[in-house]
Amino acid sequence: MNQVKIIKRKKYFAAGILCILVFVLALFASSMFPGKTSSAKQEFIVGFDAEFPPYGYMDENGEYTGFDLDLAAEVCKRRDWTLVKRPVIWDSKDSELETGAISCIWNGFTMNGRESQYTWSTPYVDNSQVVITRKDSGIMKLSDLSGKVLAVQADSSALAALEGYDATDENKALAASLKDLQQVENYNSAFMNLESGMVDAIAMDIGVAAYQLSAKDDTFLMLDEKLSSEEYGIGFKLGNTELRDEVQLTLLEMLEDGTFDNIVKKWGLEDSACLSKEDTTYIDGSQVPVPGSSKKNNESASNADSSTVQASGGAKVKKLGITEIIKQLSSGITATISVFVLTLLFAMPLGLVIAAVRMSRFKILEWIAKIYISIMRGTPLMLQLLVVFFAPYYVFRISMPYSYRFYATIIGFSLNYAAYFAEIYRSGIQGIPQGQREAAQIMGYSKGQTFFRIIFPQMVKRVLPPVTNEIITLVKDTSLAFVLSYTEMFTLAKQIAAGQTSLFPLFVAGVFYYVFNFIVAFVMEGIEKRLDYYR
Amino acid sequence: MSVLELENIKKSFGSKVVLQDITLKVDEGEVVSIIGPSGSGKSTLLRCATFLEHIDNGAITYTGQKVVAKSAQGAVYPSKKEIQRACANFGLVFQNFNLFPHFSVLKNIADAPIVIQKRNKVEVYKEVRELLQKVGIGDKENSYPCELSGGQQQRVAIARALALHPKMLYFDEPTSALDPEITAEILRVMKELAAEKMTMVIVTHEIDFAKAVSDRVVFMDGGMVVEEGTPEEVISNPKNERTKTFLTKLSV
Ligand SMILES: Nc1ncnc2c1ncn2[C@@H]1O[C@H](COP(=O)(O)OP(=O)(O)OP(=O)(O)O)[C@@H](O)[C@H]1O
Ligand SMILES: [Mg+2]
Repeated sequence: MNQVKIIKRKKYFAAGILCILVFVLALFASSMFPGKTSSAKQEFIVGFDAEFPPYGYMDENGEYTGFDLDLAAEVCKRRDWTLVKRPVIWDSKDSELETGAISCIWNGFTMNGRESQYTWSTPYVDNSQVVITRKDSGIMKLSDLSGKVLAVQADSSALAALEGYDATDENKALAASLKDLQQVENYNSAFMNLESGMVDAIAMDIGVAAYQLSAKDDTFLMLDEKLSSEEYGIGFKLGNTELRDEVQLTLLEMLEDGTFDNIVKKWGLEDSACLSKEDTTYIDGSQVPVPGSSKKNNESASNADSSTVQASGGAKVKKLGITEIIKQLSSGITATISVFVLTLLFAMPLGLVIAAVRMSRFKILEWIAKIYISIMRGTPLMLQLLVVFFAPYYVFRISMPYSYRFYATIIGFSLNYAAYFAEIYRSGIQGIPQGQREAAQIMGYSKGQTFFRIIFPQMVKRVLPPVTNEIITLVKDTSLAFVLSYTEMFTLAKQIAAGQTSLFPLFVAGVFYYVFNFIVAFVMEGIEKRLDYYR
Repeated sequence: MSVLELENIKKSFGSKVVLQDITLKVDEGEVVSIIGPSGSGKSTLLRCATFLEHIDNGAITYTGQKVVAKSAQGAVYPSKKEIQRACANFGLVFQNFNLFPHFSVLKNIADAPIVIQKRNKVEVYKEVRELLQKVGIGDKENSYPCELSGGQQQRVAIARALALHPKMLYFDEPTSALDPEITAEILRVMKELAAEKMTMVIVTHEIDFAKAVSDRVVFMDGGMVVEEGTPEEVISNPKNERTKTFLTKLSV
């Protein structure tokens, strides 16, 4: 009877393993052969920050959209290019451009202060930095801000306008008169800070401000005085003038036939759009090509396009219900789960190997493992992910395909978690009384047999509680994949949150993590119970 | 023929000499008891004879086949495979049993004969059940070690050693972790084995038991064999002063 039970258990186990394998293979297959298998068309890859409405963000249908992306789409249509919209994390935009993972940065991208770092189009949006306050705050002019707390987004143009090396003296004086200049991660939290009185005002781009205010009721106010005026351009890799000229030319064509203005109207940016054929030189001093000198695709495009671009009088936030948010998050959930499953699949055996090396009789091996573990545990996982992702290019000058960011995520996570697992395994193994090994040796078990029959099964039971802790941490850590711009669920939630100007999508994501971890804990508890037959 | 021959065994831990120069011969069917004060090197001697410790010099021979040879440069050990083969000659019963906690009683005993010796499963199970009857825990085959008393665990350990059909058995203070009344039961099992002419080397503090069961008694002190002979000679009429002191201390 007992044996029958064991056989049954083995069968379930085998079936479980098989399921996981099939799942993993399917994942691999799908990432190896992305949807579009062949396309002779040139790709135009727009890099943008998907949390920057109205220029680039995720709309209520889960599509990336925005003023800049509409412009890019139109350019691609006229050029017969395939548009690829690639959200990037802002901190690594330069590396992405450098490695060729994106063709340009087109995303409300401020030229001022970056003039010599990119090959720029002519400015197409004049974007001023403005200050938002609560209506009841009594702040009516910039000078009223003295002694108050002002919020800005980290690394934003507003911050640069106040404290950057080329900030005006008035702005520097203003910054000095503040009680505090509070940096916040995104505009949602900035507005929540403002609403709850934790800050007195927010400095931000005018276009973003208009979008945010359209979603709020009438409690906020935009000061008439502006902090600074700056311009947006399209940034190409330094020296890539050929692509820049092609895009510039197409934009000017769009300006000529009115398509540009239609798109401007659709997004309510009439006050700030500034693309002009009067601009005959680029910021780097070279000549802007004149439309008409190349006649490509001109006639076919113009009329057909005005129908797709309807002037709707400004971007408006459409609030999503919870089911829609869940629906949009679901694609991120698959990504999160695959990072989770694959990381465990690789990190758990790798940890065993590292633990073995760590316990090796050879001092050198032992030290290598020790150093490895200490680095992996002693530095931020986020940094390790960046190293894995960018090392092929910056160290070996190899450009990796787009799908590499998925592999880099898995590799980074696996290397990191393997170090933790290794230490857990080691303590589990060393806790088993030496006498059992000696008994096994005398009974004729080989080293391998001793490990797999005697040590390993007992180790599994011993390490189960700490391993469960690690697994639960991993579920939450998957959100770190965002640093590689790998769109897992939390990144998606942040993008939706930005488009919705509400933190609610983040709470929905939180619930998902909780449920996921609840299941993990339940499964682990089950395994623990199963191994409870001995002490 | 002698089952075990230890010649001039020398062993130190660092600068501490634990075995000075031990020579011991055990014939087939013989029961040898090793007695001596704590720290005299009894356990170390067993661990050296069972290859758990590496000796500095000396020779170890099982059933006429030399396993470890002595040389001017120190002991010469053969390959791991050879050692593993030599291990089939003996079994060792530890003071603290060292059962495998994740295996049932049945599996603790049957695993090695099936996996290592590749014997027929059905026959092994049949034999294991007989062995369990013999050591007096026939009803415990499906229990796990944690469910057994110390005395029961030690019986399993003895059965586990016997199941591999060794030529001889080592015991290192098999009863010193047990209560006195349980001790007697384990000693009875060992007496039965002695009666069946099992070759045994027993390190023990149970002087009466040693006297009753042994063919020969070895008294060790300071890493040396101080006195050796029949139980009558060594225990009843010790000649050496150190033996006398040790025995009087025990009887107090
Ligand atoms: N691995 C080791 N490293 C260092 N010293 C050791 C080691 N094993 C044993 N010793 C020392 O060797 C000496 C002999 O120890 P051993 O365990 O053989 O004595 P024993 O006769 O079995 O004593 P007891 O009757 O208490 O079991 C002791 O002084 C002990 O401290
Ligand atoms: Mg001892």
